[in-house]
Amino acid sequence: MKKTFFQVEGLRVEAGGFQLQDISFSLHKKEYTMILGPTGCGKTMLLETLAGLRKPIMGQIFLNNTNITTWSPEARCFGFAYQDSLLYPFLNVEENILFGASAQKRHKEVEIRKRLNRITEAMGISHLLQRVPRLLSGGEKQRVSLARAILCSPPVLLLDEPLSALDPQTRHAMQALLHELHHSEGLGIIHVTHDFNEALQLGTQLIVMNQGKIVQQGEPLNVFHQPRSLFVAEFLRSENIIKGKIENINGILWFSDRENEWVLGPLYEKLRTDANQKEVYLMIHAGQIEVSLREDTPLHNLNTWNACVQKVMIHSTHVEMICKGSRYWHVALSCNEWQRLDLKVGSRVNLSVNMKHIHIIED
Amino acid sequence: MMGLISYSDLSTLFNILKQVEFHFALKFTLWTSLVATIFATIIALPCAYILSRYKLPGRVFLDTMLDMPIVLPPLISGIALLIFFGPVLGDHLAQAGIKIVFTPLGVIIAQCFIATPYAIKTFKQAFASIDQRMENIARTLGFSPPNVFLKVTLPLAKNGIIAGIMMAWTRALGEFGATAMLAGITRMKTETLSVAVFLNMSIGDIKFAISTAIVMLFIAFVLLIILKILLRNEVSV
Repeated sequence: MKKTFFQVEGLRVEAGGFQLQDISFSLHKKEYTMILGPTGCGKTMLLETLAGLRKPIMGQIFLNNTNITTWSPEARCFGFAYQDSLLYPFLNVEENILFGASAQKRHKEVEIRKRLNRITEAMGISHLLQRVPRLLSGGEKQRVSLARAILCSPPVLLLDEPLSALDPQTRHAMQALLHELHHSEGLGIIHVTHDFNEALQLGTQLIVMNQGKIVQQGEPLNVFHQPRSLFVAEFLRSENIIKGKIENINGILWFSDRENEWVLGPLYEKLRTDANQKEVYLMIHAGQIEVSLREDTPLHNLNTWNACVQKVMIHSTHVEMICKGSRYWHVALSCNEWQRLDLKVGSRVNLSVNMKHIHIIED
Repeated sequence: MMGLISYSDLSTLFNILKQVEFHFALKFTLWTSLVATIFATIIALPCAYILSRYKLPGRVFLDTMLDMPIVLPPLISGIALLIFFGPVLGDHLAQAGIKIVFTPLGVIIAQCFIATPYAIKTFKQAFASIDQRMENIARTLGFSPPNVFLKVTLPLAKNGIIAGIMMAWTRALGEFGATAMLAGITRMKTETLSVAVFLNMSIGDIKFAISTAIVMLFIAFVLLIILKILLRNEVSV
């Protein structure tokens, strides 16, 4: 069983009329927690509170079962890196990285030097040590900022959108670096982002926030496939969300979109409440919709419907299509599948879905 | 500047530079203005930091009070200082063996009083321009708030602080009104360069006054040049 080493209970923080409310979560050793949410939902405020830079008006923070709620930031010594690397312009790269070591004095100088060499080598910045920050690129600055944050082996590393200001190529390289650091350093990491793909790639736990509250938390893939609210589904860019009702026909539950007389079922998913006639949302990810040419598969199967390709968008990893049936459907195919089916604008297709892949949002 | 320079000649200027009264005024101005600038810096640093960082109740009132010496005519400031260190506090200070009115100490206090608001204004701007997250990072790296101030805030505000010190110093160098009221206009005792210009103009020694004024211009010009070079070097490092 995993051991919880960092725990937040019922945290409430207030600043400038904004409130973080009832924030509770825990972090296991070596866990990578991603906090996801729209701009202004309180992510940075939460990280600053965890670091001790803001005082909560309620709630507690525990580190290794010790209540650290009232500890100052310098007593906690959590590693912290902001979106803009915030290197000290009056110090060179080496001095920036060693800055914390001079204050903490927890390690011997020889140890610190060894660690400096190892970390800068791993991050590919060992050749930049004598440079001043203004001569570094965005990616290099962010690496230095990370090296500064982890040099003294902080118990928790807090990252506030550290990759969002970087170009896609550098961001990708930094994601790989963070992934590697997480494993090699064995750090507990809390990483704030608004990029869901980043959260999926890096996180072992995902927390979704909105308006100062945690709206859902769990394993990233679970949250992605089973959002608990319309907000989470929309924020995670779930493409096909349909408003409708649950119908109980002879004890079997069906989803019906009465407006278009479109019925899907039977539903496998366990619903939280007595759902008959209840207004719900049905969610199908674009990648879960199967596409076949209409002439290949006559329309006789349950949960299959007609559509016509309206738009084709080719991405580097997949092909996205918008198809029009009784409504517009977002469909994602692998490049191979798209080429095999030879789909173009105007192609007539059948769309179908396996009921195991749909999700009902009850909120 | 052109007017002053065109009304003087080099031989008179060099003659006056050799006079004892000029030497006294120059040395007296330099050391009093330096001491006044040091005190102004010591007072201005915490004031500016607190005003830029903390939302104190009555901050606008306090800020305005600190700006008053800038908008008041120095003569009025001088009268206020004279009354404060004379009738109000004079006896108590005298008992403690401190004499301010009509003494060199009065010169320093008047210069400091006039120069401090300029230092506060510049320092405040320098502190306010610092991204507070830089200080936050230092706290998470293990620095206590006083250490953050010394190791992060001051180095980051260095340009503004140097500019503020130079501004305060140039203001103290040229101070006349408040100094005249508090320290008096006594030849070879409380005679700063400004006072020397006034004294010699009033007795009709225009050449001495103009030469002194040119020296003051030169000093201010050199100081401002040094300031600009320092700031430019800092930017291009």
